[in-house]
Amino acid sequence: MPKEAQSLLLPDVPDRAIILERLQRVLDPELDESVLHLGFIESLHVHQGQATVALHLPTSWCAANFVYMMAEDIRQALLAVESIHAVTIRVGEHFAAPTIETGVNAGTPFAEAFAAEGGGNLDTLRETFLRKGFTSRQERLLRSLKDAGLTAADICTLRIGDLAFVGDACLVRCAGRQPVEVGLADTARRYLQRRGELGLDGSPTGPLITDLQDQPLTVERLEEYVTRARTVRLSLEANGVLCRAVLAARQTHAHDLVFLGPIERFQR
Amino acid sequence: MYTHNGQDIFVVDGHMHLWDASPENQIPPHGKNWIDCFYAYHSGLSPADAKWPYEKFCQYGEAALIDDLFVHGYVDVGILNSTYLYEFYKNGFNSHEQNNALKAKYPDRFLLNGSFDPRAEEAGLEEFRHMVEQYPIAGLKLYTAEWRQGSRGWRLNDPWAYKYFELCQELGITNIHVHKGPTVYPLSRDAFDVHDVDYAATDFPTLNFIVEHIGLPRLEDFCWIATQEKNVYAGLAVAMPFIHPRPRYFAEIMANLLFWLGPDKILFGSDYAIWTPKWQIEKLMAFELPDDIRQEYGVDLTLETKQKILGENAARLYGIDPAIHREKLRRDAIGVHLAAATADQAGAEAFPVASVQEHA
Repeated sequence: MPKEAQSLLLPDVPDRAIILERLQRVLDPELDESVLHLGFIESLHVHQGQATVALHLPTSWCAANFVYMMAEDIRQALLAVESIHAVTIRVGEHFAAPTIETGVNAGTPFAEAFAAEGGGNLDTLRETFLRKGFTSRQERLLRSLKDAGLTAADICTLRIGDLAFVGDACLVRCAGRQPVEVGLADTARRYLQRRGELGLDGSPTGPLITDLQDQPLTVERLEEYVTRARTVRLSLEANGVLCRAVLAARQTHAHDLVFLGPIERFQR
Repeated sequence: MYTHNGQDIFVVDGHMHLWDASPENQIPPHGKNWIDCFYAYHSGLSPADAKWPYEKFCQYGEAALIDDLFVHGYVDVGILNSTYLYEFYKNGFNSHEQNNALKAKYPDRFLLNGSFDPRAEEAGLEEFRHMVEQYPIAGLKLYTAEWRQGSRGWRLNDPWAYKYFELCQELGITNIHVHKGPTVYPLSRDAFDVHDVDYAATDFPTLNFIVEHIGLPRLEDFCWIATQEKNVYAGLAVAMPFIHPRPRYFAEIMANLLFWLGPDKILFGSDYAIWTPKWQIEKLMAFELPDDIRQEYGVDLTLETKQKILGENAARLYGIDPAIHREKLRRDAIGVHLAAATADQAGAEAFPVASVQEHA
């Protein structure tokens, strides 16, 4: 849990740990990273079961559909907490702030809130980015496996049950050999979690590395597959770098900017 | 011009602007939001000594531009990409009419790019023809996400866009820069979709499509399209500045582009004034791909490749012979100023822009 996230909440808020845990799971779909880690949540205030969340986005031009998705997800995550019965989201300075806030806070689907703009359904977009995130997470795992000295043949024969987690490390057992450490547990966990979210086989006997159709990769296919996956990972990373840099600049240069949204700044 | 071990390297800045985002020109609230967003890019990725005060960033003017590009920034030729944004700025952000004032004063230093908006349909075609007759239009910069009367954007494969591409062919305009980077709309699709480039590039094989900002964050789609289509190029604006805060990531991006597109289809662009060219060029010239990345991708960023990226590729697309052009530049007012500064052995001073008359 990043330090900033800890201090978002006043210490006496009920269900504090649960709230942070739920928010931890809300992702910026485009970056495939938690909105908490990204620092997009400026403040969170709970008073008599009424939660108010102020977002702080990197720019006022962040794509409205992604902002809507994040705001919706945060609202749903908080509504699932027992002690919270109402949630208000403020998106701050954003070109579509009024439309997003009115829509999200009333539980209106995006397509309806942005009907005049040809809003469309967000489910396809969400699915697209879940899949990109899968490829990106898998590429990081494949890189760890390769760096640990596993051959293409080793990688293609691994089962999910061949992975073991010891503290922060991930170990892998290849047939007839001692287990080897293959980088951080988090890399493998994120990949396995996304397999679950996409409904791909997660059983211990299932193949570890499959494509999005859940087909195991063959040694012949692996190299080209990795070459493409690498580009997907780089692509997602570009946005992450840009968003963080811009958000940091916006926070530093806040005196130069006018915040139009009705953001109340709570203690961070 | 950048000099590397006594060797002159021809530099074309494929993506630069002279904008006016002064408060007087802004239309609230988006005029201010827009430049604030640019300023966040500027301060987020620039090295500390290359950051500008906010007021200067809103309106920096001709003297600063000449200084930043040609006197201190190593640029030989700048491509003026016109960006209109009439719904955000009263007189536009930087129209080709405004940019032409620079082109007229320093004819060999700039290439003037115009634009079209297919949503203007039939009337726009006439206007487009008129623009090409009236101004020395070298190429186009298309901004498909521009707002216009309730519409939040258009696509290169819209039927009306095709009519404009046909006219480009007729009028001999072959270089089309397309903004495919961080955008806002259209809402219903993935906002950074680059697939329309694929259609247009296939259907207009005699036109060159330079995808600015390399389609970020749709790099994988862009690379795939640019690999398939001979006439699709990578414009490095926005990818370049990663070299400062995230050099390893920049190395991966470059290795990836070299792997998919090769060294002949990548064009440097500073995106001035979001970032100044000086530090970007210095850092690129000093940059080497780390060994592991070089091995993994099987590519290298050699001096020869850097020369292609910095100027030779753009020069080829725009029909400029660097050797001949360099001679012209030595003789223009800025060239004479730079030569005098070198002879004095002192650092070049600001170029006196007021001393230059517009060419007839």
